[in-house]
Formats: sequence, structure tokens, C-alpha cells
Amino acid sequence: MNYTFQFGVVWRDLGALMDGALVTFQLGLLAFWGGALIGLAGAALKTFGPRPVRALVDTYVVFLTNTPALIQIYFLYFGLAEFRIRWSGEFCLLLGLTLNAGAYLTMIMRAGFLSVRRAEMEAGEVLGMTRLQQISYIIAPHIARTIYPALANFFIVILVMGTSIGAVIGVDELTGTAITLATVNYRWLEYFTVVAGLYIVLTLIASVGLALFGRWAFRVKARVF
Amino acid sequence: MERILEQLPRFLSQRNLVLLAEAAGMTLAMTAAGCLIGFLLAFVIVYLRQTPGRWALPVRLACIAYVEIFRRIPFLVIIYLVLFTIPLVLRDASLFVIAVVSICIYATAYISEIIRGGIESVPRQQVEAAATMNLGRLQTTLWVVLPQAMPVIVPPAVAFGVSFIKDTALVSQIGMFELTFRGKELNNQGYSAVLVFGTIAFVYFLMSWPLNLWGQYLEKRLAAPRSQRRRRTLRQP
Repeated sequence: MNYTFQFGVVWRDLGALMDGALVTFQLGLLAFWGGALIGLAGAALKTFGPRPVRALVDTYVVFLTNTPALIQIYFLYFGLAEFRIRWSGEFCLLLGLTLNAGAYLTMIMRAGFLSVRRAEMEAGEVLGMTRLQQISYIIAPHIARTIYPALANFFIVILVMGTSIGAVIGVDELTGTAITLATVNYRWLEYFTVVAGLYIVLTLIASVGLALFGRWAFRVKARVF
Repeated sequence: MERILEQLPRFLSQRNLVLLAEAAGMTLAMTAAGCLIGFLLAFVIVYLRQTPGRWALPVRLACIAYVEIFRRIPFLVIIYLVLFTIPLVLRDASLFVIAVVSICIYATAYISEIIRGGIESVPRQQVEAAATMNLGRLQTTLWVVLPQAMPVIVPPAVAFGVSFIKDTALVSQIGMFELTFRGKELNNQGYSAVLVFGTIAFVYFLMSWPLNLWGQYLEKRLAAPRSQRRRRTLRQP
């Protein structure tokens, strides 16, 4: 144990790391919302669609959730290049994460769809609600409330686990920036300690924000800790 | 496209297949080792976290901090931290040790939350009854709480371990000889990336899917409410 920590260089590069954190946050947000759209469509198709469409959604979910996101992104980044489709690392990462998140979110939202009971719809019908009113006043609030904790949790997962994969294909998000900087002066431990701290701050902000929003919008008691 | 078809017979040579099978075994081995050790350590963390008394406050806080910190750091960052910390403690640690330690750190944090949820699902009265019978804290945990909490703990813990097989792909980044690393190697040898990463994805799928189905079966089997379980046994002749 004779390692002297020298955080000086890290503080000098803190601006670059902050930029990386911003990129991480943007990537996480975009991938999550893209995935949420896919998930919503997938869950709706799986619940109401005809049989072949349901089978198709099932195949998509099973394949994307049982293979690593890293391999999916490699496939987009290195594989598609063989067909003369060259996308930037950022785009491949975003596309891969969105498709991957879409599969997981299909499962989450499908569970939400299934949690609506028939009796609730019938009660709405008795009250003379139209189909649209039933959806907007009964089904949507119910589903939102049921799946909100799972969605909030998944957003944290994609923000942390998901976007850090970008470092492997050279995207300059938080981990990638740290690797680029650390290869210059070999202060790996210092850079990664600070990066770990930044990730904790980033996810804490996200969790607290999500918990407060959930309490305000859906009266969900989401836990931060 | 022609290139892929032309390479296919050469790619599926016996040497490559044995290489991939060994790499898949390595992926499974390090995930299993890391998650099993993590599972045991998670019990210790949860037990310490529930230590009663004012003097144990620092212990409780340390456990909470461990869980909260390592659940919020990406696995890749943990790998790099372990990679550069281990040489300070242990001389000549192999990459396998580094991989297992990283998996273990991460798994401990996640599984301890699962275990805490399982333990909290046991009714309070059970603990009170155990206290009335003069059982100590360790005895209560071992003989009263855990047997009842296990059916709630095991399915999500298995699901975590199974899904972690995929996340260990990141360990390839430090040069561990596992599935993804072998894939990159084969790609560098000139095999088509579509072919190589398609095969690798398929091998991951072959490992992950059956285990996933098994996990779902476990969940159905174990996590059924107590009332339903009793009814099922009664109905049998």
C-alpha cells in the first residue's frame, strides 16, 4: 500500500468530466424515452394485437432481453459497417440502448396493462363513460401508478449501466471521458474515484427528482433509498 | 453477404467452436462464483444492517452506504476501480480474480436489497414469538426468519444472477478471456463482425434463456401465496 493519490490533475479536468456527465444524462434520457415509446407500442400490440403480431413482439422481447446490450451495440457498430452502413458511436449506442430498453419496457408495461381489472372498466361503463374517457380517467392513471416505481428504477439502470457501455466504442460520456483522460497521465484510480462520485451525484439527483415527481403526479410512494 | 457465407465453414471449425465453448464456460464460471460469494456476503450486510442498538449506528450507516454507493456506480467503473486497486493489496492477482471481485462487489449490493425485501416480508409476530421463546438474534434469523424469507428471496436473486451473465460481457474490456473477448479476437482475425457477434449473441442466448425460464418456474413454484400453496397440497389425494 504505497500509492500516493494525486487529485490535482483530476480537478483540472473536472470541466471535461462534467461535460461527460451531461452527455451521459442526455443519452440516458433519450434512450429511456425512445424505449418507453417502443415499450408502449409493444405492450399494446402484445395485449390487443392479432396472434402473428403478438408472436413477433414476443420474439423481439426474448431475443433482446437474453443477449448482452454490449453485443447488440457491437453488432450495430462493427456489423453494419460491413453493409456500408457507418454510423457514429453515439448513434449506435443510442439506437442499441433504445432497442434494448424497448424490450425491457415492453415487459414492464405489459405487466401494467395486465394489472387493470375488468371490473374497473365495467364500473366506468356503468357511470356512462365513453371508451376514451375510460382510457384517460381509469386505465391510464391506474397503469401509470402501477408501473411508475419500475419505470423510475429502470431509468436509473439505463442511466448508469446502459450509457457506460458507450465507453467501449469510444463515446465521450462520463466513463469514456475518464478513460480517455486517464490514458494520458495514468491517474486511473483518481479519475475513477471522482467519476464514481459523479455517478452517485447524478443518480441521486435523478432518484430524488423521480420520487418527488411520482409523489406529485401519481401519489406513488417511491423510495429514494 | 457473400463474404459471410464464404467464411461460414471456416468459422465453424472445431478449433473455434471449442474456443467459444471454453469462453462460455469461463463466463458462466465467473458469474456463478461472483454471484454465489455475493449472495453470502449480502446476508452478512443485511444482518449487520439490522443490528439493533445505538452503538451499532456506524455499522448500520456503513452497510447502507455500501449498498447505495455500489448500486449507483456502473459495472464498468467498478471493474476499473478493482483493476487498479487490487495490485495495491494483492500482488500478481489474475484477471479471473479481478473479474470475480468486481462481480462480487456489484452483486452484494444488489442482492442485499433483495434479501432485505424478503426478510421484511416475514410477519413481525414471527420474530416476537421467537423472542418469547428466548431465541437469540442469530438463532431467530437462522431458524425462524430465513426459512420463511427464502421463497421470497430466491427467485429474484436467481433472476439477478441470470441477467448478470449478460452484463459480465463488460469484463472483456480488461482482457479477461470470456465470450465477448474471444468474439473481439475472432473479429480481429478477419472474420466478419456480423458472423462473429451474431454467433456470440446466440451463445449468450443459449445460456441465458433456459436459465431465465427456470427462474420463472422457480418464481411460480416458490412465490405463490401461502394460502394457495396449502390449497394445492390439500387437493392432492
